[in-house]
Order: sequence, then structure tokens, then C-alpha cells
Amino acid sequence: MIELNGVSKSYNGIRRAVDNLDLTIPDGEIFGFLGPNGAGKTTTIKMITGIIKPDAGQIRINGTDIATDPIKAKQRFGYVPDSPDLFLRLKGLEYVSFMADIYGVEQDVRNSRIETLAKRFDMQDALGDTIQSYSHGMRQKIVIMGVLVHHPEVWILDEPLTGLDPKSSFTLKEMMREHADSGRTVFFSTHVLEVAEKLCDRVAIINKGKILFCGTFPQMQEHFQSHQSLESLFLELTKHE
Amino acid sequence: MNNIWLLTKIMLKNSSRLGSRKKGGEWKSLMLVALMLIGFLPMIISGVWFVAELYDGLAQIGQESAILGLGLALVSCAIFVLGIIYVITVFYYSQDVEHLLPLPLAPREILGAKFLVALFYEYLTELILIGPLLVVYGVKSDAGVLYYLFAIILFLVVPVVPLALSSILVMLFMRFTNIGKRKDRFRLIGGIVGIGAVLGFQYFIQKQRSAMEDIEQLQQQLLSGENVLLNLATQLFPSTKLAVLALVESGYWSGMGYLLAFLLATIAGFLVFSFAGDRLYFAGVMGISESAGTRKKVEGDAFAKLAQKRSAWWSFAIKEWRVIWRTPAYMLNCLLPSLLMPFLILIPLVGIQEKKDVLEAIRGWITGTGGLSVAIFLAGSIVLACMNSASVTAITREGQAFFLSKSFPLPFRQFLLAKLFPGTILSMLSILVLLAVAAWFLPITPLLASLAVLVSIPGVVLMNQFGFLIDLQRPKLGWTSEQEAVKQNINPLFSLLFGVLLTGITVIGVVSWGGSLIPVALVLFLVFGILNLLLYRVLVKKGPEWMDKIEE
Repeated sequence: MIELNGVSKSYNGIRRAVDNLDLTIPDGEIFGFLGPNGAGKTTTIKMITGIIKPDAGQIRINGTDIATDPIKAKQRFGYVPDSPDLFLRLKGLEYVSFMADIYGVEQDVRNSRIETLAKRFDMQDALGDTIQSYSHGMRQKIVIMGVLVHHPEVWILDEPLTGLDPKSSFTLKEMMREHADSGRTVFFSTHVLEVAEKLCDRVAIINKGKILFCGTFPQMQEHFQSHQSLESLFLELTKHE
Repeated sequence: MNNIWLLTKIMLKNSSRLGSRKKGGEWKSLMLVALMLIGFLPMIISGVWFVAELYDGLAQIGQESAILGLGLALVSCAIFVLGIIYVITVFYYSQDVEHLLPLPLAPREILGAKFLVALFYEYLTELILIGPLLVVYGVKSDAGVLYYLFAIILFLVVPVVPLALSSILVMLFMRFTNIGKRKDRFRLIGGIVGIGAVLGFQYFIQKQRSAMEDIEQLQQQLLSGENVLLNLATQLFPSTKLAVLALVESGYWSGMGYLLAFLLATIAGFLVFSFAGDRLYFAGVMGISESAGTRKKVEGDAFAKLAQKRSAWWSFAIKEWRVIWRTPAYMLNCLLPSLLMPFLILIPLVGIQEKKDVLEAIRGWITGTGGLSVAIFLAGSIVLACMNSASVTAITREGQAFFLSKSFPLPFRQFLLAKLFPGTILSMLSILVLLAVAAWFLPITPLLASLAVLVSIPGVVLMNQFGFLIDLQRPKLGWTSEQEAVKQNINPLFSLLFGVLLTGITVIGVVSWGGSLIPVALVLFLVFGILNLLLYRVLVKKGPEWMDKIEE
């Protein structure tokens, strides 16, 4: 579960990137975080993951406050950043193993998890090469593997599907579903509204740092008394802001 | 030409920190630079003093213009050598190349802009190398306004020819060999060649026995035309003669003529560079960012080895270590200095072993000075620790990956230890190399050697902690090439400044105390040990807060 209460963040003391945000993502849900470019999605995700500090408000991950007990809170989630161009000098396997070390994954489970993940994402032949030699999609896959190897309770994924081939994209979506169905949390941002519509139990639409809507897709249709697609509703909603 | 200006402006903006700093950040940066200038004042003053002395000596026989020749020659050589490394990384391997190639730009436009950016950075080198010299010469010779005007013009154009020459060499190399495709190896080789050139240069000067402290000898050599450096530079860059003549005769029409001739030579140099660039650059640079893996499955022992479980901090430390070893720019700045610098110190000592009387004198001096010898060894170790940028770029090196690291559940204390690990190990290694070098050439007793190591360990640990502290305060995370992260970064200079101050205070303190060997060693060990503990406590207590503040 992720809870945000009255979270705000401004840059240079002027521009409010996130404005008094309240959001609760319960267990057992895939939660989609939608919004136009520069709406405050990545800023929110960075605050949840402890990368930047909110100016005001409280963030709790499975009940642990990230500000007061950051280490415990950070152990609860796995985070896929929006750019996978990281740790390029490491070999794929070194990177995944490094992530396993950081989260204290035991030797016996780590080997089998790495093998399973590599198989599911079709990365067995690439693990021995440096990440620098990977394509964009392969880099995305290795970063996702680095998160999944430690079996976090809460998944926080910033644009996780960008660059993935159809098979890997399908696999990841399948895994997100399995994870939520096992009673845990998946929080992800995306621009692909069809995916959000099909995959998410609930969505929030953010623009200019404020939540415009939060709920299920049928609730949204009901709210706007319309049978339009999520895409049309999204465009309608963010147009006047 | 418009495109060149446009690109230059964008590249400069992109690489300067000022653009992205928060309000008030400019002031902070300016104050830091001012502080640094004050710190380096003693070095600048001694440089000015040296040039003034040399001038007086040569002026007696009317040969003072040789100083200008020496200065310009030195600067041309330095820019040529530095240029080779710079051109490899910035013309070929920087990340913006991939964005520039699809644009409708001629090679000479991309190169022209990159050349101007390089020139801009070379001015900083030039300022240190001949800025004081030009001013001292002007003051001493009661030069008129024209001299200073000429000096400014020459200051701006002198680096063009050496830089063009190094660019052409690198472009030829990249065009006609396949080595560029194995880019890491090539960058490393380029860097080592550069360092080798510096070492060779040092050895050359030493062999000439024209050590800078011996002004009279240098004057003699300049007069008799025996100075190899000067001859070499004027052969490589014949146009520097014109520059010297322009300055010397700045009061006459002939000076103007020489200046024009020099400018023409420079323009010709730049045109040759553009011409060569149009024909060589694209063929060498295209596809250079591609790197292919072997795509072989990792199994069995190899898998077990790579996936072996380690504690979190140790795994982080190993990751740092691997990245330094695998990244040529980091290796050249963080790894090689620790191992090569002791040899640079060694070169002046070559041949000393045959001179029994000198050795005897040194032995007498070492026993006579008591504790001072151990303080000097400590000072040497601290300076070596400053030469190694591993800890002072510990956060900067991560670049954007730093933000992912911030989301790790790693206690700050462990993060700190992992970050200090490579720099500290490498500095310790350089202590050992320094000791080996010293023991080989100088009469050092086992007691002195053990005490020297004992005292140096807390010394280098302190420097590494201090380096990390600086990087934590002002990391440079938005770099586009690894070279930029470690080279276009002034943090190592702060570390050096602190190191120089620290060694100064230590040596002066020990001299005025005049204690004997063992008490001095014990006191230094205690003092540095306590300083380390204090700094460690500050880092552990305030570090997480400082790290939180790094948000973009």
C-alpha cells in the first residue's frame, strides 16, 4: 500500500510541480498514473521513492514513513526509473546480482530467480555482456529484472513499457497482474492509454501537479456521463487545465 | 559560419554548470573560484618571481626575448599533448555526436564548434602557463599599450595551430585505422600515450639538467640555443617565432607585420584543419558509438562467480571498482595517477646513486632532521592522494544513476564506506610505490619506512574523506561524457588546495617544533587519526541531509 497525504513540491520556490497531493493505492491493485508531459508524474514517483524530498506532506509505503524510516521503507519497494541508461559498464548479470546484494537476496533463491527472469524476458544470451552493448529495450528489461530479483512488495514503475518488444511487454503486464492478484501493489506511470484502460484496476490523472480524477474507468465514464474511451476522456480532462 | 557559432553556444551552455544552477548559485561558484585563486596565490607569486629573475639575468646581455620564446613554446607543446586526449574524447566519443550526425551540418561545422569549445578550455590552461609570463615581461620591459594589445591577441590565437595539429593527427588515425571501433581500448591507449609524453618530457628536461631551480643554467641554454625544449617547439610550431617577434617589436611597424604574418599562419592552420575535417571526420566517426556484445550464454562456474552473494556495501564498493577499471576516463584520472606519480617523483633521482657524496649528504640530512623526514613523506603521500580523483568524483561519476542509488535501502554509513573504498585503496597503493621508490634511491632505515607508512595511512584516508565531502557538496551529475565528469570538474582542485594547505601546516609545524623521529611520528599519527574521526563523524551525521539535497 502506498499513501500520500498533502504532498507538495515546488522548484526554485516558484513553480509548483506537485500541489497538495492525496492518494491511496491499496494492496491488490494495479494503479495507473496518467498525465501529460511535465504534469508531475515523475516528480511524484521520485518523492515516493525517496529520491527527492517533498516540501510538505507525508508518504508511507506499507505503513512505513519514507521520511522518518527511509531504509525500512525503501526495502519494501522496487523502482524502475524512466531512463534505463544506467550502470552501462556493468555486465547484465553483474547488475542484477548487484541489485540482489543491495536488497540482501540469498544465494539459493537468487540463482533460480535470475534464471527464471532471464528466460521470461529472453535475456539468457545477453547476461554476460555489458549493458552498454544492449538496445534500449534490453536495457529496460535488465533494469526490470534488477527490481524483480528482490521480490519487492510494492512495484513502482516509471514508464516501464517504453521500448519493450511485444512479447516482453506482454510478459511484464502478465507479471504485474500476478503481483497485484497475490495481494500486493503495482504503481506505474504510462502514456499509453489503451494499456491503462485494459490493465489498471484504478487510474489517477494528474495535470499541473494536481489530481484531476482518481478512480476506476467505469467510475470515470459515470462521472463524465459519457461512454467515450479513456483516451477521449483524458484529452477532454486535460484540455481545459 | 552561423551554424558554427550556434553550435558553439549550445555546447558551451550545455557543459557549463552556471546555466542550471539555482538562484544564488553563481555567487557561490564565483566565491569558490576566488577562494581557490587566493589559495594558489603562493604558486602564482613564485612563478612571477621566477620569470622576473630570469628576465633580469637575460636582460643584462639583451636576450630577454628568449623568455617569450620559451613560454610560447611550452604552451604550444602542452596544448598539443592535451589536445590529443581532448580531441579523442570530445570529437569522437562524446554523447552529443550521435545527436549532431543526423542534422544537416557539414563536418567542418560540427568540428568548428567543437574546436572552439576546446579552444575555450585551452585558454584556462594557457592562462596558468603564460598569463603571468606575458604580464611580467610587459611590466619589466616598460612595454607600451601595443604590447598588451598584441599579447591579448596572441593569447587568443596561439593555441589554434597546436590544437589543429593534434586534431588532424587524431582524425587521420581514426579514419585509416580500425582501432577507434574498440573505443575503450583506444581511449586508454590515447591517454597512456599522453601520460607517457608527459613523463618523457619530464625525463628530457631532467636529462638536460635544466631543472627550473637553476636559473643561471637555463639562461645559458637559452642563449646558446642548446635548450632542447625550445628547439623542439620551434621546429614543431615554426610560427611561434613570428609571435615572439611581434611581441618584441610591438612598438614598431615591423611588429605589426609579424603579428599579421602570425595571424595568417594561424588562419592557414585552421583552414587546413577544416579541409581535413571535411574529408576525414564523418568516415571516422560514423558507427563509433556502436558496441557489440558476444551474446553467449553464461553458465556453470561463470554464472556462479558473477551471481555470488556479497554484503550490500561490499557489492557497492566492487561496483565502484569495476566502473573505474572499465572506464578509460576514470582509469586515467583515478587509477593511473596513483601508480605513475611516484615515478614522476623518481625521475629527478635517476643517477643519484652513483654520487656517493650526495647520498652521504642526504643520509646526514635525514638523520639530522629527525622528525621532519617523516613529515615530508606524509606530505608526499597527501599530495599523491590529491592527484587521485577517485573519492573527489565518487558521486559525480555515477551521473544520473546516482538517483537510482538514492532509492536503495543502503544506510549512509555503508554508502560512505563503499564510496571511499577505491580511492583509499589506490592512495595506499601509491604510498607503497612511493616508499619503494624512496627506499630504492635514498638511504632510508626500516624504522623510518615503517613510521612513514604508519603516519601516511591516516593522512591519505583524511584526504579521501575530504574529497568525498567536496563531491557531496557540489557533485556534477549532468555530464554527457565520462571525460566531462572527471576533467571539466573543479572539485579535484579544491581537494588539491586543501592538501597543499594541510601539508604546509604540517611541515611548518614540525619544523618549528623540531622534535625527533618517533615523537613526531606518534603525534602526527594521533593528530591525523583524530582529524579523521572528527570528519567521519561529521560525514555520518550531516551526510544523509546533504545527500537528500542533491535533487537534480
